[in-house]
Amino acid sequence: MTDPRFRLGFDIGGTFTDFVLLDRTTGETFLNKCLTTPDDPSRAVLEGLSPLFEKAGAGGSDVEIAIHATTLITNAMIERKGAKTALLTTEGFRDVLEMGTEVRYDIYDLFLEKPPLLVPRSLRFEVAERLDKDGRIITPLDEAAVRALAAELKANGVEALAIAFLHSFRNPAHEERAAAILAELLPDLSISTSGAVAPEIREYERMSTTAANAYVQPITRAYLDRIEERLAEIDYRRRLYLMISSGGIAGAQTAKAFPIRMLESGPTAGVLAAIFYGRQMGIDSMVTFDMGGTTAKIAVVKNYEPAKSNLFEVGRVARFKKGSGLPVKIPMVELIEIGAGGGSIAHVDQLGLLKVGPESSGAMPGPASYGRGGDRPTVTDANLVLGYLDPAYFLGGAMPLDLEAASMALEARLGRPLDLTAEQAAAGLFEVVNQNMLAAMKVHIAERGEDPRKFYLFAFGGAGPAHAYELARALQMRGVIVPAGAGATSAMGLVTAAVSFDYARSFVTRLDRVEWPALQAVFDGMASEGLAVLEEAGIPEDTLGVRVEHRMDLRHKGQGHEVTVTIPKAAFEAGSLDALAQLFYAAHEEKYGHAHRNLAVELITCRTTVLAPPPAVSLEALSQDGAVSGESARKGTRRAYFPELGTYAQTPVYDRYRLRPGMNLDGPAIIEERECTVVAGPSAKVRIDPYGSLFLDITAPAAADKELVDAERD
Amino acid sequence: MTLSSVELEIRWGRLVSIMDEVDAAVARTSFSTIVGESRDFGVVMLDRQGRSLAQSQLSTPAFTVTLPITAKHLLRKCPPDTLQEGDVLLTNDPWLGSGHLPDFTLLMPVFQGGRIAAFVGCVAHVSDVGGRSDYLDDRDLFEEGLRVPPTWIMRAGVEVELLFDMIAANTRAPRLLLGDVRALIGALTLGTRRLATFLTDYRLETLDPIAEEILTRSRRAMADAVAALPDGVYRAKVIGDGHARPITIAVTVTIAGETITVDFTGSSPEQLDCSINAVANTTFADVYYPFKCSLLPDVPNNEGLAEFLTVVAPEGSLFNTRFPRAVRARSKSSFHIHAAIWKALAPILGDRAQAASGSFWTMVVSGENDGEPFRVHMLPNGGKGALAGRDGLPTIAFPYNGMITPAEVLENQAPLLVTARALLPDSGGAGRQRGGAGQRIALTPRGDARLDVFVRPDKMTHPADGLAGGAPGAHGRLLLNGAPAPLAPMTLGPGDVLELVLPGGGGFGPPAERPRSLVAADVVAGHVSPAAARDLYAFELPETV
Repeated sequence: MTDPRFRLGFDIGGTFTDFVLLDRTTGETFLNKCLTTPDDPSRAVLEGLSPLFEKAGAGGSDVEIAIHATTLITNAMIERKGAKTALLTTEGFRDVLEMGTEVRYDIYDLFLEKPPLLVPRSLRFEVAERLDKDGRIITPLDEAAVRALAAELKANGVEALAIAFLHSFRNPAHEERAAAILAELLPDLSISTSGAVAPEIREYERMSTTAANAYVQPITRAYLDRIEERLAEIDYRRRLYLMISSGGIAGAQTAKAFPIRMLESGPTAGVLAAIFYGRQMGIDSMVTFDMGGTTAKIAVVKNYEPAKSNLFEVGRVARFKKGSGLPVKIPMVELIEIGAGGGSIAHVDQLGLLKVGPESSGAMPGPASYGRGGDRPTVTDANLVLGYLDPAYFLGGAMPLDLEAASMALEARLGRPLDLTAEQAAAGLFEVVNQNMLAAMKVHIAERGEDPRKFYLFAFGGAGPAHAYELARALQMRGVIVPAGAGATSAMGLVTAAVSFDYARSFVTRLDRVEWPALQAVFDGMASEGLAVLEEAGIPEDTLGVRVEHRMDLRHKGQGHEVTVTIPKAAFEAGSLDALAQLFYAAHEEKYGHAHRNLAVELITCRTTVLAPPPAVSLEALSQDGAVSGESARKGTRRAYFPELGTYAQTPVYDRYRLRPGMNLDGPAIIEERECTVVAGPSAKVRIDPYGSLFLDITAPAAADKELVDAERD
Repeated sequence: MTLSSVELEIRWGRLVSIMDEVDAAVARTSFSTIVGESRDFGVVMLDRQGRSLAQSQLSTPAFTVTLPITAKHLLRKCPPDTLQEGDVLLTNDPWLGSGHLPDFTLLMPVFQGGRIAAFVGCVAHVSDVGGRSDYLDDRDLFEEGLRVPPTWIMRAGVEVELLFDMIAANTRAPRLLLGDVRALIGALTLGTRRLATFLTDYRLETLDPIAEEILTRSRRAMADAVAALPDGVYRAKVIGDGHARPITIAVTVTIAGETITVDFTGSSPEQLDCSINAVANTTFADVYYPFKCSLLPDVPNNEGLAEFLTVVAPEGSLFNTRFPRAVRARSKSSFHIHAAIWKALAPILGDRAQAASGSFWTMVVSGENDGEPFRVHMLPNGGKGALAGRDGLPTIAFPYNGMITPAEVLENQAPLLVTARALLPDSGGAGRQRGGAGQRIALTPRGDARLDVFVRPDKMTHPADGLAGGAPGAHGRLLLNGAPAPLAPMTLGPGDVLELVLPGGGGFGPPAERPRSLVAADVVAGHVSPAAARDLYAFELPETV
């Protein structure tokens, strides 16, 4: 009996469930993909695993760790399929959840809607209790009233309860006491307290986050229990781990306590995969670009670290507009989501301009070329007409596309009103959807103070590799990387991620008015919680490589926004508040070009991350046979349009599965694999690295869209 | 040169995204909570003639209309041929700018090949600009603070020291105000860099070719939308209150072909003892806004869209006030304009007319805490008016936009306790579509603190009108220890409780036509009381519910 040597990752998405089995001793990977089974997602897990185990000659007992990502939490939130949830809050504040920030996310839309509430007004309860801003008790908790509430919760069939009191981030005692009373009276009730879920200042966001956590907690528990059972059936009896939004993995117990931390776990795993590939290749800075059927997701990676944010919105009701979703305050790998995917629909607006998205044709009826009744032109239809896709090799030929239908939709809906041919309309559509993505990427990269020219674009997802070259060219990026198995990239991120967890606790004070020991107590508290999470995940505190990182959200006193400043270990140990202030001034200056050293520094929130060392895995490197031509992998030639040429060109088509490390191809070239098609433009040099990833190096600088101008003049 | 649909879409999209980037820089680096949290600012890109082309998507609507007007004033005083790269122009003159002194308008040229190619500008409500108070009883502009005529604040990238010193010497918070000014300059500089790159990418010397295309297409689209409305003369009147005496907002809207004229004749005269006077720029911006919302909400805003509109307001009236009338709280007048216009046009706009909204109140709390002065703002909102097909949202900003300061943030900034922030049952006007609910906010000093408080209330006696048979929303109330509070600054001591009761939005359509299921749901949620359901909706809740 040998030691278990496989790492198993499985990512349950809306349509597909992806699997990766990685043999850590050889670096060999086995991939599989099967349709998700929404009625019982664990069924697909078993169905997809057995052929994988067969291929690898392994079983559940050969797996040392199973790591899971799921879209279940996100879907339950969006589709409002969570538990019947109640809220308990401080007397006078039960409506805050409904009133929100009072901001309109669109200034001209009279009909704007707010996302449906997770907790109806009739299930929002108040209790007498009050803390002041420093967490001191002004009004003691009315425990009798809390007890009395139990009957009402029961009578209403409430399954989950969020408790969110004012200033609980400074002192959770009242929340904890109320939770304890109700847990005793209602042992089946699932309870989330805001001091544990999101201990940050701003009552609305904290309440919203806690309510969301409560809302998905019962179904998450049942779901993870079920997955654990099914894994046990196939002899995996070790701990189940979950990918969390902040880019780490955590044990199932932690995930059940904080299910809201698993939002977007699949897309996050994709970013982690990019980082893993980056490490293999020695590339530390990338922009990840995951374009699927309805959206494109973008993240920035620098020094092998993903950019993070602390606020997320779930289920935007208005076309991806910022502010139209439910705010959730959790640490996240920052993913910018754009309403641009293969299914995005193009139309002509009131000004006679060609617009693409954010409306999507979805899977039904789908793009016109799916032949399922869709008659509005989509990005996929344009890509087909432009020659990027082979109508006979979509999804490896499993789903033939109708080129004629795509042309007709382009012609009828765009060509006629704009006086363009179907091909010109397709070229315009392609340019516009690329521009939509470019605009978002540019703003996002610039906001982080970065220069796109220093980054590679790491492209995956069904549509990403077809658009990446044009984006990278326009931003003058270093090139494009398309990993092997771009269809299962996210699952690859699972098996290579490390255990970690993030904490935040607001502590509003002027830095020059606080004693260091008080702050240190806050940080130490978070660190010990984090080390307990590691312990739960089977990693003792004294494991080599375990790290604790501290950060602070600081601002000039009076300023509206904070800058997150990392506190170096030495500074933390020295405990000099003045040194921290200097770090803030320097960070502000670096980010915004100015700092006001005569203004006091104000602390808003303390943050701590606890990280285990990354797993020691690496991919199997294939030998490179020197620079050889890719001619042996060529499967044909077809006409394809390239904006920089302003016309169509006869373009060689290659079979990705026959490409070998060391081969080189000259652009223009089209490289097909089952789940995606890679488009390399005329200025690309394509090489295949030892791990099977494609590198598209771009040799000519971008020149705006002058070429398109010429094309249209033809 | 004419641009194709695809070319223009791509270029315009890039211009808007440049302005979104400038917007983000302003919001993040500003010191004014009114900018950072309440988002009281706008950033706009203009062509060489000062015509607006693109703005950030969240810019305050009124500012995007006044900024190009202000830009033209700035360029008259500081002509383009006197400008150098790195110059920034500034004014806060209410008559040239957006109507009151705290709004600083800045304009920066974008140079390409040594010549001006375009401008980037911003308007932002900055920190304190001096003056006697924030209350409503100013008698003239000189009581309201520092006025900066059009001039240079930066010359070739160097700060104009005298002006910085003058500004600092005339404010209670010099560091914050100069911090705001520098943050705005920093954001504009970013915008000029981005725009220069854009011009280089497209090998353009100026934005003119794109400007013509944007303006022409926008002008055309709006003209078509206006032409589709039936010609005619439509009148309405709205009464505003919450200050010295009620004011009348009377509009006569004349639609003739592709043009619309809005005449304020019959409205109140300018006020000599109250700072609610609106300059012509402000009036124009607030007249334009409801048309933009009703007719072309989706087209990115630009000057071409406003060309259909002529506004007439007699000089010396409340809506075209003369120097040096007091203007600090001009929004108390101007935020009624949309309601008057929709009331006039409800018969022809159908589902695109919105009943009147509760709108925002201003509360400022100041004093001393632990020997340090504090001053905090809160801008809570009433309920939004209903439209055909859509209930009014509860407690949301309209027609301006802004975030309410959370109770936890307020309590960290000032020695007070917010003891309630709650929706008000029965405050949304009854109707087939119900008006949005207003709210009740209660606060009290913490411990033995003393708080200097003033509130600018609204709709105290004249509530938000309903439309098409909908009932008005509940009116507002301001209570001190349960009794009506004076409309003047107050000092709260230990144990005092101040309550702000914000008005609800108006309803739309006859209440009897409201679906019974929705009335029942409102009763269950407590938005409508059983008594009001019976009296206003003729609805009895079944026993079983």
